[in-house]
Formats: sequence, structure tokens, C-alpha cells
Amino acid sequence: MTARLVAAAFAALFAFAAPAHARDELHLYNWNNYIAPETVKRFESVCQCDVVQTYYSDNEELLAKLAAGATGYDVLVPTSNAVQALIRGGQLKPLDKTAIPNIRNIDPAYLNTPFDPGNQYSVPYAMSTTILGYNDVKMKELGLPTDTWAVIFEPKYLEKVKGRVTVLDSANELFAAALKYLGYSANDVDPKHWDAAAAVIRKAKPYWAAFNASSYIKELTVGNIWLVHGYSNDIFQANQDAQAAGRPFHILQGVPKEGAVLAVDNMVIHKNAPRPDLALKFINFMLDGRNSAELTNLIGSGNPNMDAMKYIKPALLELPAVFPPPALKAKLEQLKDLTIAQRRLRNKLWTEIKASK
Amino acid sequence: MTARASKRLARWAVTAPPLLYLLVFFAAPTLIMVLASFRSPAEFGGLAPLVDEAGKLDLNVDSYVRFVTEPVFMRVFAKSAGYATVTTLFCLLLAYPLATLIASSGRKYRDLLLLLVILPFWSNFLIRIYAWMIILGPNAALAKLVNGTLALFGAPPVPLLFSGFAVLVCLVYVHLPFMVLPLYANLEKHDQALLDAAQDLGANAWQRFWRITFPLSLPGVYAGAALVFIPALGIFAIPDILGGPEDTLIGNLIKQQFLETRDWPFGSVLSIVLTVAALVLAGSAAWVARRGARRDA
Amino acid sequence: MRRRSPWLWAAAIVAYAFLYVPLLIVVVYSFNDSRLNAEWVGFTLDWYRTLAHDEQMLRAAGNSLVIGIVASGVSTVLGTMAGLAMHRYRLRLLPILIFAPIAIPEILTGVSLLIFFVLLNFTLGLVSVALAHIAFCIGFVAIVVRARLAGMDETLTEAARDCGASPANAFRYVTLPLIMPGVIAGALMAFTLSIDDFVITFFTAGAGTVTLPLAIYSMIKIAVTPEVNAVSTLLMLLTLLLIIAAARLSPSLFRSQGDH
Repeated sequence: MTARLVAAAFAALFAFAAPAHARDELHLYNWNNYIAPETVKRFESVCQCDVVQTYYSDNEELLAKLAAGATGYDVLVPTSNAVQALIRGGQLKPLDKTAIPNIRNIDPAYLNTPFDPGNQYSVPYAMSTTILGYNDVKMKELGLPTDTWAVIFEPKYLEKVKGRVTVLDSANELFAAALKYLGYSANDVDPKHWDAAAAVIRKAKPYWAAFNASSYIKELTVGNIWLVHGYSNDIFQANQDAQAAGRPFHILQGVPKEGAVLAVDNMVIHKNAPRPDLALKFINFMLDGRNSAELTNLIGSGNPNMDAMKYIKPALLELPAVFPPPALKAKLEQLKDLTIAQRRLRNKLWTEIKASK
Repeated sequence: MTARASKRLARWAVTAPPLLYLLVFFAAPTLIMVLASFRSPAEFGGLAPLVDEAGKLDLNVDSYVRFVTEPVFMRVFAKSAGYATVTTLFCLLLAYPLATLIASSGRKYRDLLLLLVILPFWSNFLIRIYAWMIILGPNAALAKLVNGTLALFGAPPVPLLFSGFAVLVCLVYVHLPFMVLPLYANLEKHDQALLDAAQDLGANAWQRFWRITFPLSLPGVYAGAALVFIPALGIFAIPDILGGPEDTLIGNLIKQQFLETRDWPFGSVLSIVLTVAALVLAGSAAWVARRGARRDA
Repeated sequence: MRRRSPWLWAAAIVAYAFLYVPLLIVVVYSFNDSRLNAEWVGFTLDWYRTLAHDEQMLRAAGNSLVIGIVASGVSTVLGTMAGLAMHRYRLRLLPILIFAPIAIPEILTGVSLLIFFVLLNFTLGLVSVALAHIAFCIGFVAIVVRARLAGMDETLTEAARDCGASPANAFRYVTLPLIMPGVIAGALMAFTLSIDDFVITFFTAGAGTVTLPLAIYSMIKIAVTPEVNAVSTLLMLLTLLLIIAAARLSPSLFRSQGDH
């Protein structure tokens, strides 16, 4: 009887799992809320296909899943350093440039990068910067600067916001911020500079409320946390939420004058993509200015597409964290992927920071 | 069929299906990762090929050496064990009355009370944690009460959120049903007649509990403790979401090896150490329990 | 009904309150007129309306429910067998295979299962997720069933066998009713573990497979909106109704020894 039950259970599961699709499918593996629903619908009607979306919330999750051999995905949207890792790992299919003529819309400053010369495998999709986010009322009250990394690293400032500051729970991002604060490049790999950065972090750690990459925006929006090290998209969204809830303060983006990390997310095609033809169609579609602008208007992300500028809300074009002016652009850096030896050293330093009192 | 053959068949029929299933879908995959602890990581992530370009088998104990030579990992292990122990104790304290109440209820209410215990855990983990963030937030009633009381004594306010306290509260919350259910399953079969006899002989409530009920319930206690302590040892999501800067547990470190650092061999080593430690602890607890049972028998 | 001490009632009520205050917040906040799960702003039914149109979230909830039922069903059967076997016989390999999945970090299990499925060229999807869930749920059921059996003598079962019952019938009519509360406790645990699992599901899900935890965790960095509270509230209610219905339809299954 047991055997029959088990067999029946699996039969039911197979029946339930068996897809009954009539249309073609494009499998998009993307961040959540990283494409506007209207855009997806428009593409589906243009290509007469279904866009099946699954999500990851971190580049590393994507890398781990693909490194273990998962397949079935067509288009992925990794950040530049993840693209670097994927290219080195032979996980991507070269792009057929003739099928994506809209690539001419992209600002040349974002093309032909060191990690993908000639854009053989990737095209830029959207961008964000890792900066400071703050409660304007509180920061004014306490007389704290909002345009320098010193405000989250120096005890003389931190004393005033003790327990009300969070930083990202990411070794790469926090080390980059500390290196920038010390005047080095965010991609500096000198172990002595890393030790200096670790020392800066350790000194500031007792004043921070948490290392947090997930719930910090929520706490900033309701006013429990007053200053964060976070992503420009999230901070923009936090302000929208704060205004919608009628809070007596604004959440503003503070771009540090020492510079910051620029994260460019790119569209790539997995080497085992079931439908590379649909993938190319999708990429070309997203390179069209109007489609690309919809995401920016939705979440306040940066946009490397010159043709999209005319569709973007003017208020967004004024935000330096989203559309940095040339002087600031020069100080923004994209993170490079590290070698295994460097990753191990960084992890050792990070573990010691986390485990220290 | 002879009686002995029939007995052997019965034994095989009961043991084989779970054994086979676990061998295929648990042991085999896990052995892959145990082997991985002896391999090298690939530059970009994942594992380096088992046989390198020279045709040699690429196996080493680098990752084990690293674990032994960096003491910070043992410190984090110890901290995680501490959290897990405290969690188990508090779960036991809260679960015992619940399980007793349910087990001693009439049939009509018993199933309902049991379902009521587990119902909250069919909502999503993340929003339950978010609910705790609301309860423990600095502007919520609880924080105001605690800090107000502290202020009366002149003590500085303490943060309830983003602290070890928040992590412990949520650890207990998330693991509570795994202590209640085994305890209930055991307490349900206790014979009330034993307790009535003891009462007739003059034992008071505490004595009845401590000398009859609790010893009889020990298998349930150990089962619940195992089902709370062992998973709590490896948890990472709760410190990630509402832990303070010092609340890094071994689960977080292991996750980092697989994701951020992309050092699967080392992640494998940490996982193996964690598993062996947990199994040894569970095994010793079971051994102590058996000796205790034999002593009292 | 036995008379129970007021201390017991007090302690139990405190425990229930501990369990339910967060849950009340979850349910109440499903009506919160704010994108965030952080503070009460105002009342609205919008999130339920959004949910009704959110095909992907509904499909994810359905997938989770189906996988949960299948995984808890199969793992309860296999786990009960394992618990019985560990109680009756002196085994060495099975106990290790029972305790190890509980101890091993999920991320290791997830990655290793993914590698394993890829090696076997097994297509990832709902089935691969269900197989993975069964693997880690068996241990929980087995441990609970064994705890139930501990100290239980086999004389009743032996008596049944002496009277001529086959092993299967002895199990069905004597042993099973005796261990039923343990089996049910194990099944409830397995179901709970399955519908809330994220890490292992993340690695073993296919390119088009979404379960509720996968959909929800991916929102973690942007905003876990009250739509999640809404879907959780409905899922809880639905599961509760399903169980009550199952209990009504097969009362014999849920009756344990001592009830007549």
C-alpha cells in the first residue's frame, strides 16, 4: 500500500509539474523588481512568447548555481565583476552583434570595458552606485557631513549616531569604501592597504548597529536607522516610501567626495541557453531607449543608454548618485573580480573583523 | 517461510526503503562534497578539475590545514554552540508546558491545540522575522518599556534590535515547534494512573513531575533537543537579518565560503567539522541517556 | 478530563502568546497601506487585490503547497519506517543517515544535490525539489517516531503475531495506532520544513520553478511587501482547512490508541 501511495504521489507531482505551454519561452534569471512589468508584457506581445522569470538576490548566488552546473536559463543579468568570473569560467555564449543593432544606443564610456573587451559577451543594462543614505532631518540636527566616507568610519562623527548606522554586509563593498576613504583605489590589492582598511573598519565597528544588506532600507525608512552605507536604487526607493507614508523627513543620497563603487549590471546569454535566438531578441529590445527608461523611472537606477535619456523623468536626471556629473564619474570605479588567493585573504580579514569584539 | 526468514524479511522491508532513499539522495551527493574538501577551488568559482592538465590527481589537505591554523573559526564555532545551547534550553522551558497541556487534553481539543502550535510556522519565515523586527524596534512598546525601566535605574538604553538578544529570541521562536512536537508525542502516552498512584502515596505536584513525568519524558526531551540544537548550530539567516555587528555564527561563515569567497573546498571543510561536531554531541547525549536509563532500571 | 494546575495553564498561555503575537502582526500587516513591513500606516485591501492578479506569486504558493504535501507524505512514510527500524534493531548506518541531513548546513546539501542532479543529467524542476525535500525531512520524522516508540514494549505486537497476524497487519492494526501521534507530529514537522525551505530549494529548482520562499527571499533586498503577508495568511488558512477536511474524511487515521 505504501508503494502505491508513493507512486501515486509522484504521478500527481509529475502531472502537476509537466508544463502545458503552447508558446515559446524565454528564461530570464534576474534580480527581483529589476524589470518593469509593462516592459515584460510589451516584449511578450512583440515576440509572441512567454518570459519566465526566476530570481536571485545576489551575484554570488547566481555564480554558485551556475558553477554547480545548473542550466535552463537564457538571459542572466550579472554585475560586471560577476561577468568577469563567468567569462573566465567559460559560462557565457558570445553575442551575435548583428542581431543587436540597438547596442549603438549605449554610451561608449560604458562599452569596451577591461573585463569584456569589445563587448563579446555582455551589454550594459542598468547601474547603481554604493553610497551613503541618510535621514536629512537627523543629520542636520547632529551637524554631520553627508559627502564623505569619514562619517561612517571616524569615531568623532560616529559617536553622535552610535547604534543608528548600518553598513553593507559585503566584504567587497565595505573594503572598497574603506580603501576609498584612505585614498586608495577600490580595486587596490596590496595586502598592506587591506590591513589598513581592516583597521579602519574595526575601529568603527563598535558604533555600527549592524552589518546588513537586507533589512536596512526598511529601518532607514521608518526612522530607526539614520545613516546607511547602501545602494543608490534602494535609497531612492526608501525616499519614495518615506514620502508615501508621510514621514517628516527625507531619505537622501550622499555621494562621498572620495569616490564610490559603480555597479553596472549587464545582460549576458548563458552558454547552454535553450533559446539564444529569443535571448538576442530580448537584449536588443531592452537596448531600445524607451524600454530601458522604464526601469529607471520605476526604481531610480542609473542608465547607460543615451537614447533612454529623453524618456526618463527629469527629477531623476538631476540626482548625482544616479546620473553622476563628469567630475564625480571620474571618481567612480567598477569592482574587479579577485583571484582565489586574494579572495581567501579578504575572507580571512573579514572573518577576523566579524569575530572580533 | 520459516519464522526466521520471515523476521529477516520484515526487518529488510522496514529498513531498506529509507536506507536506499537516503543513500541515493543524501549520501551520494554529500560524498561528492566531502571529496571536494580535498580539492582545490577554481579561480572563478566552483571546483578545479579533479585531474589537472598534467594528468595528475589534484587532491590536497590545504583547506584542512587552513582550518586548523586559523583559530578564529574555533571561536565562532564556540559562539554558535553557545547560542544553540541557550536556544535549546529556552525552547525546552517554553515547550514543556505547551506539550503537557496538549497531551493532557481531551481528544476534541488536543488536535486543535497541536495545530494551533504549528499554524504560525506555515507563514513565511521572512515575514515572521520582520514581525519580530517590528516588536523589537526602538520605537515599539517593548523597547520603550525596557529602556524606560533601565532609565529609572540610571542605566543607558540598550538596543533590542540588531543584537544578540534579538537573535536568541528569533532562534527560540523559529525552533519552538520542533521541541513541542516530539515532547507531545512522548507525553501523550504517559499513563495518568502512575501519577494518580503517586499522588495517593503522598507525592506533591513537583515530586510527581520531577520523579515520574520528567524521567519518562526524557526520550522526547532528547529528540526535541536534537531537533533544535543541531539545526540551530548551522543557522545563518537570522543573524543576517537582525543580528548585531558581533553576531556572526558559523552558518554565516560557511555561507560566505560558498558565495562571496567562492572557496568551496574550505566551505566543505567547515561543514564537515560542524556536522561531525553535531553528530558527536548528539551521539554522546544519546549515550548518556542510555546509561542513565540503565542505571535507573 | 484531568484537572490541570493553574500554573500549567499560565505557562502554556505565555507560550501561546509568544507564538501568536508575531503572527497577529503578520496578519494585521497584510492590510497595511505601506509597501514596507515596518510600521502601520493605514488599512487597505489592496495587497489582497494585488495578490489576486499576481499569477507568479499564486503559482509559487501552489507549487509550495504541492511539494509540501508530497514531500511530507513520502518522508512521513519513509521516516516512520526508519524510526521503527532504529527502535527495533541495532543499526549502524541508518542512524548516521538520519542525523546527518539535520546537521549538515543546507548550503552544502543544496550545492551537492545540484551537482549530483547535473551529473545524472536529471532535469531540474518541481520533482528535483521534492526529492531534495524528502531527503532532509525523513530524519525529522524518524527521530520523532523513535522518541514515541522509546520505552514502548513490543508485547502487544508480539501478541498479535502469535495470534496469527501477518507482519503487515500487526503493523497496521497494532503498532501504527500506537505510534500515530508521533507519525502525525513528524508529518506536521516535515510539511512545515518543506513549505518554508529556501536554501536547498534555491539550488535544486529548475529555470522556471518558483516556490513561495524563492519568490519571497528574492524580494529581501528591495522590499518584502505586505503582499507576502497576504499570501502567507491565505496559505495558513488554506492549509488549516485542508487538514481539518482530511481529519473529517478519515477519522480512523487520526485516532490514536486510547480513543474509541
